[in-house]
Amino acid sequence: MIEIHQPILKLRNIKRRFMLGETSIDALNSVSLDIHEGEFLAVWGPSGSGKSTLMNIIGLIDNPTEGEVIFDGQDIHLLNDDALTNFRSEKIGFVFQNFNLVPVLSALENVMLPLQIQGVVEELARGRAIAALVDVGLERFKNSLPDKLSGGQRQRVAIARALVVNPKLVIADEPTANLDSDNSSMVVELMREMNRVRKVTFVFTTHDTRLLDHVDRKILLRDGNIISDEVTA
Amino acid sequence: MKNISLKNTFKLALRGLLRNRRRSMMTMLAIALGFSAIALFAGYTHYVYSGLSRQSIHGEMIGHLSISKRGMSMQGKLDPERYMLTAKNVDSITKLLSNEPHIKMITPRLALSGMASNGRASTIFIAEGIEPKAMAQFQEDFLTDREKASGLYEDSKKKLDAAHPEIVELSQGLVEMLHLKVGGQATMLVSTLSGQANALDITVGHSFNTGNANTNDKFAFISLALARTLLDAEGRADRLTILLDDVDNTELMRTHLQEKLNKSGFDVEIQTWQELSSFYNQVQSMFDMIFGFIFSIVLTVVIMSVANSMGMTVIERTREIGTLRAIGLKRSGVVRLFTVESMLLTMLGCVVGLLIMLGVRWGVNVADITYVPPNSSGKTALMVDLDLGRVMFTFLLMAVVGTLAAYMPARRAAKKDIIDALGHV
Repeated sequence: MIEIHQPILKLRNIKRRFMLGETSIDALNSVSLDIHEGEFLAVWGPSGSGKSTLMNIIGLIDNPTEGEVIFDGQDIHLLNDDALTNFRSEKIGFVFQNFNLVPVLSALENVMLPLQIQGVVEELARGRAIAALVDVGLERFKNSLPDKLSGGQRQRVAIARALVVNPKLVIADEPTANLDSDNSSMVVELMREMNRVRKVTFVFTTHDTRLLDHVDRKILLRDGNIISDEVTA
Repeated sequence: MKNISLKNTFKLALRGLLRNRRRSMMTMLAIALGFSAIALFAGYTHYVYSGLSRQSIHGEMIGHLSISKRGMSMQGKLDPERYMLTAKNVDSITKLLSNEPHIKMITPRLALSGMASNGRASTIFIAEGIEPKAMAQFQEDFLTDREKASGLYEDSKKKLDAAHPEIVELSQGLVEMLHLKVGGQATMLVSTLSGQANALDITVGHSFNTGNANTNDKFAFISLALARTLLDAEGRADRLTILLDDVDNTELMRTHLQEKLNKSGFDVEIQTWQELSSFYNQVQSMFDMIFGFIFSIVLTVVIMSVANSMGMTVIERTREIGTLRAIGLKRSGVVRLFTVESMLLTMLGCVVGLLIMLGVRWGVNVADITYVPPNSSGKTALMVDLDLGRVMFTFLLMAVVGTLAAYMPARRAAKKDIIDALGHV
């Protein structure tokens, strides 16, 4: 049984409009959504439905054209760029479709990076990064550069990098899109385990409906609107 | 919250440089070659300046400082009697300054000009009257050990004999023009201070090369005693020449001595060797201008190389910048990362350039290359010094310029929207 706590993120009437030349495109139409602590949530839908736009706004790397974003009680509009960067660094972990590991850093150094950006001292950062790599089962690859790792291993390193700062929320935009089905299942199971064991909230997007069996809640987006919001657990 | 530490910024920057080794290497080589070109030229001009200053101070025996009655330099030639130091002045000033620190020697001098004749032909001459002992002391620090060993400057040595004031040193061109030989006789004819013609027989003790084509056919060194006799100026001098322990004390001592002499009631002016050596000043101005020209070109090449290299790096790493920004690196952190990377590249280039410069310098210095400089009457060695001052200045300026050259591309990268950067292909 999943424990559901108070919302860590509230989206209210979010609109996101992009200008393509002189044409405006509404990627999100008045989306309202609460994400609760401890949830394991998938946003799914066809290409162009607004999944990535929604994830960018949830991840505080994009601003809505209209609407309100409250994260952990903080109105995001009130933060300047540096404050928002600090806020994001402390509260949110990111897992990207293309892994986005720094190619010249080893697995361990990649995982240490968010801590070093926060100014955590070297030894402490190293210890926490090794622990994160142990959690994803890659301790013995800690000195390997990303190009020496398989796609699945790289994504596990990326998950370790996202978790190492003990975030409130991990955003994963199509984390399995570049993986085969075995690695996809393994990555989603790993995220699920981290969610269960460490109570970290996960929100990820996918277009692979097989992965939806693993989630507690799934939100279907189409044309920038929430079509369904279904709690499955 | 703190930002990423400088140590980690350096680590990331260094790894970034290693990512595209070929490009980093080419940019670094451009910087290194530019740096070594500047450092070599600076070293060459340093050697030339050093040689010319020694030539002026010790070779031409201008000394570091020259004390004369105020107005001597402007009106002295028209009315030497009025502007010459009296015997009393010479003694008093010499005594007053004899215990000053940094002064190695103070000696009276007397310049004169007139006609030199071998009995069949005559030509003009310009002579310096100097005490033989002072002449020896002036020449002690003239040549470096390497220059002495090269044998190139053997004919620049001069020597007078206090016991035989009639023995003079004539420039090689003057000796040749009058068909004189060492030990041969000639006559010097001058006007005394009172305007009377006065001629004395002289003996050619030795001939020397002045090092300057314009003076090598008319210059002579004669003993002060002979000069005083020729001018009928017993005990007098047109100036007192001071030799210091170090050329770097020149300005300091000029100020100090001027104050001291003024306080003691002497209406005199003090000129430095640089003010009196127009040739040195002309050469220095010319080389400084060439140095500035080369420096500007090299600096432009460095700025363009670094800006181009960093611009490409920033474009290639746009997605990485987006990732770093997403996981918490501030805009200022992105700027710092790329400017540090650029600074490291520039500094590495300068270090490699320094090594190239040291290697080439060694090669040039052991190759014993000689050449005839413009307006010179003899060969001189092509040598390169290590001009630490300008090497350090170039190093620092290049590091700053190299860093600044990356600032614009880095700022552009830092300003990019995170989602645009993450979506960059």
